[in-house]
Amino acid sequence: MNVYLRELRAYRKSTITWVISLAGIVGLFMMLYPAFESDVEGLNEVLANFPQAIKSLVNITPETFLSVLGFYGYLLNFAWLAASIQAMNLGVGVISKEVAGKTADFLITRPVRRAQVVTAKLAAALTVVLITSAVFTAVSYLAVVATGASLDEATLLLMASTLLLLQIVFLALGALFSVTIPKIKSVVAVSLPTVFAFYIIGAIGDVLENVELRWVSPFRYFDPAYMIGEGALESEYLLVIAVFTVAAIAATYVIFAKKDIHTAI
Amino acid sequence: MEPRMNVIETRKLTKYYGKSRGIVDLDMTVEEGEIYGFIGPNGAGKSTTIRTLLGLIHPTGGSATIFGKDITAFGPQIRQEVGYLPSEVFYYDDMRAIDLLRYSASFYSTDPKATEKRAKELAERFDLDLKKKIDDLSYGNKKKVGIIQGLAHRPKLIILDEPTGGLDPLIQQEFFHLLKEQNAEGATVLFSSHILSEVQKLCDRVAIIKEGSIIRVDQIRTLLENATKRLTLEMAAQPDASDFALKGVSDLEFTNHTVSFLYRGHVNDLTGLLSRLDLVDLQVEEPDLEEIFLHYYQKEV
Repeated sequence: MNVYLRELRAYRKSTITWVISLAGIVGLFMMLYPAFESDVEGLNEVLANFPQAIKSLVNITPETFLSVLGFYGYLLNFAWLAASIQAMNLGVGVISKEVAGKTADFLITRPVRRAQVVTAKLAAALTVVLITSAVFTAVSYLAVVATGASLDEATLLLMASTLLLLQIVFLALGALFSVTIPKIKSVVAVSLPTVFAFYIIGAIGDVLENVELRWVSPFRYFDPAYMIGEGALESEYLLVIAVFTVAAIAATYVIFAKKDIHTAI
Repeated sequence: MEPRMNVIETRKLTKYYGKSRGIVDLDMTVEEGEIYGFIGPNGAGKSTTIRTLLGLIHPTGGSATIFGKDITAFGPQIRQEVGYLPSEVFYYDDMRAIDLLRYSASFYSTDPKATEKRAKELAERFDLDLKKKIDDLSYGNKKKVGIIQGLAHRPKLIILDEPTGGLDPLIQQEFFHLLKEQNAEGATVLFSSHILSEVQKLCDRVAIIKEGSIIRVDQIRTLLENATKRLTLEMAAQPDASDFALKGVSDLEFTNHTVSFLYRGHVNDLTGLLSRLDLVDLQVEEPDLEEIFLHYYQKEV
């Protein structure tokens, strides 16, 4: 419990920053929505003239884009990206911060099992991610409802919840990185390129219309058009997320238990 | 009297880092209540042994017990009663000294309030301002935080890995006093160092480690009797080699009026020899470990 609380305290400031940023993305985009809505016809023409590559890159589907949920699905891309970076930062920091800051000596010579350390730190990171997602969902609901457009509220909540799923994936990936990549000096230097790489892989997959690449990038696991149309998530991708997360977390425990903590020089 | 319990016992403890040697088949026995010195040059395997005992690194062979419990199976239980101070201390920069000590106290099953009270007493004794951020503390003061976190929970075994670096002589003296007090109250101490004199001041028994193995364990008294000294004499007249024909003299060298040699044996015999000489100046130095290895152990090992 002490390690968990210590971690939460350490994350306080950065969490506030991320939450405000994510809420800001939703707020700003939804403020723009009425302007788009009032000019539907003109926009449809503009969109029709967009090259397919550009549309794929930012996940715009003309049929749904101009509904309020379609518009929300568009902004979700940016929220996904930001939230994934936050989660990856948390994950990569789990063990590497103690090793890089040379405080691992202190922590590991206390009477704790290494598994307890991992559990406490993951639990703290998960708490932060849950808080972030909860605030994001609440702000999304308020902002979308405030536009006054008619919508299916359940679908909106479903779409907002994808943020948490992506965060869990990147948290698990980050945790795995934190025990496998030797000498991580800067958390951001690991997390930013990784998250962007996955985002770009997803975009390339869309441009090439390559179905296989969709499996590689978690950013393409949730298709807004599908969510709006079916009111559900695609279960095969949920399965991938579940299997990957469990495997990555299990590997984190096993690898860290066997890891040598080297002299702090 | 009952034989004393072995607080630390290693059997053929071995650690390789890939192909490079850490320690090889190391056998060590530290008895309850003693201050056990662990001495050897850098790279001999002192830190490897200590870090293995603490569970920071995993042995590649052999086994070890602390308080009779296996170190790999019962690490957390063992560390309840162990205090550790490394040569270089690193703590969370965002914490104040008091936060770190409270955080440390929260890990132990002993009442955290009692541990915190003890930490405050020690801080007063070492004149350390606990309200300061750790980041703002000088190296020596960070070290004091290290001493306090290592001792506040009143461990039964205190493990010190070259702990004196960065401590000024007064603080070092106070620290040694404190260790002796803890020892008098029953704590066992494992003290690693590459400085012979500080081990002499503190320890009951000394193990000498070389290239990953313990090559000799001695009572400190035995080691002192056998200790080699380097003497440099400035003579009034041209020295005569025959004057130095004494058992225990080696490495004899003459340069004009200057004579230098190593001496290992009874001090009285040496002063007897010196009293017969017409001296201008006299220098007695403790040889460094390197010299001890060269002139004392090389022959026997």
